[in-house]
Amino acid sequence: MQQRIRKVTGTSVALLLVGAFLLAGCSSSPSEEQLRQLSDLKTEVDALGKEVSSAAAKKGELDKQIADLQAKIQKANADMATVKQRLAK
Amino acid sequence: MRTVLTVIVILAALLAGQVAVAQEEMTKDQWQQEMNKLTETQKSLKEQLKALQDEITAREGELSKLTGDYDKAMTDMYALVGATPEQAAAYRSEIEALKSKADELSRLSDADLVARSGEVEELAAKTNAMWDNKLSLVPEFWDGLTALNEQVKSLQNVLASQVKTYTVGTWSKDRDCLWNIAKKPTIYDNAWLWPKIWQGNRDQIKDPDIIEPGQKLKIPQGNVLTDEEKSAARKYYSSKVPKTPVE
Repeated sequence: MQQRIRKVTGTSVALLLVGAFLLAGCSSSPSEEQLRQLSDLKTEVDALGKEVSSAAAKKGELDKQIADLQAKIQKANADMATVKQRLAK
Repeated sequence: MRTVLTVIVILAALLAGQVAVAQEEMTKDQWQQEMNKLTETQKSLKEQLKALQDEITAREGELSKLTGDYDKAMTDMYALVGATPEQAAAYRSEIEALKSKADELSRLSDADLVARSGEVEELAAKTNAMWDNKLSLVPEFWDGLTALNEQVKSLQNVLASQVKTYTVGTWSKDRDCLWNIAKKPTIYDNAWLWPKIWQGNRDQIKDPDIIEPGQKLKIPQGNVLTDEEKSAARKYYSSKVPKTPVE
């Protein structure tokens, strides 16, 4: 009788372990295709981030050039007034 | 029983391993969350990029217009003094060349500067001539020439401080003539250097045989005659050779 109980206990434990093993093996993880999609998306986002940084830098450079040119135009107008004054003397 | 226990141990080990691997791997829910997050970031970045590109296009247009405005303002200013932008560029180059010459002379030691005093005078003359051009009224050139004038003046001051003077005495008392003045130990201690005094005072000595008491003569530095001074001396001596009458 005792031997039978042991046998049953052993079998039950084995069955439980097999069940747990199968459950763990069948847990929902993304497929290879989905992982590739994720990786491609990450790459695209990285590239976009770089493009945005580069465009922002270009915009900053253009802003600086515009400010410089506006200052130069202002000076040219002031210089023109000075030349007129000197010519009038 | 032993077989059963062995199977149990093996299965438990496999289970533990699988659980550990499963913990490291991403679940489908995590994947979905990550995909959603990245898709949102992607969308936002695309919008930012579009907005930036639009702004860049607008600024490029503005820059192009401002460049045109600036060129027109400069052309109009040069036209006020009757010049073209090309003439203004040439004038600018001339001023830069003079400035570079002034810089070169300013780096010389006082003694070397004295030896090249002719170049200082030439520089001063060229700088003065630049003022005759109406382009000098343009502030850019006006300021450049003013600075150049200052530099030339400072070179001339250095030269002036290096040149000794001698006040001519009377013949009866001092026996002063260019030869005797050059012979004095305090002057050159060498009578043959008299053409140096003549050439250094051409503004007041026309004939080296005639100097007047009270004349303040500059005594140029140096103990050898320059080519110019030698040439002047040769002309003087040849004019003193009596001409042989033609038969």
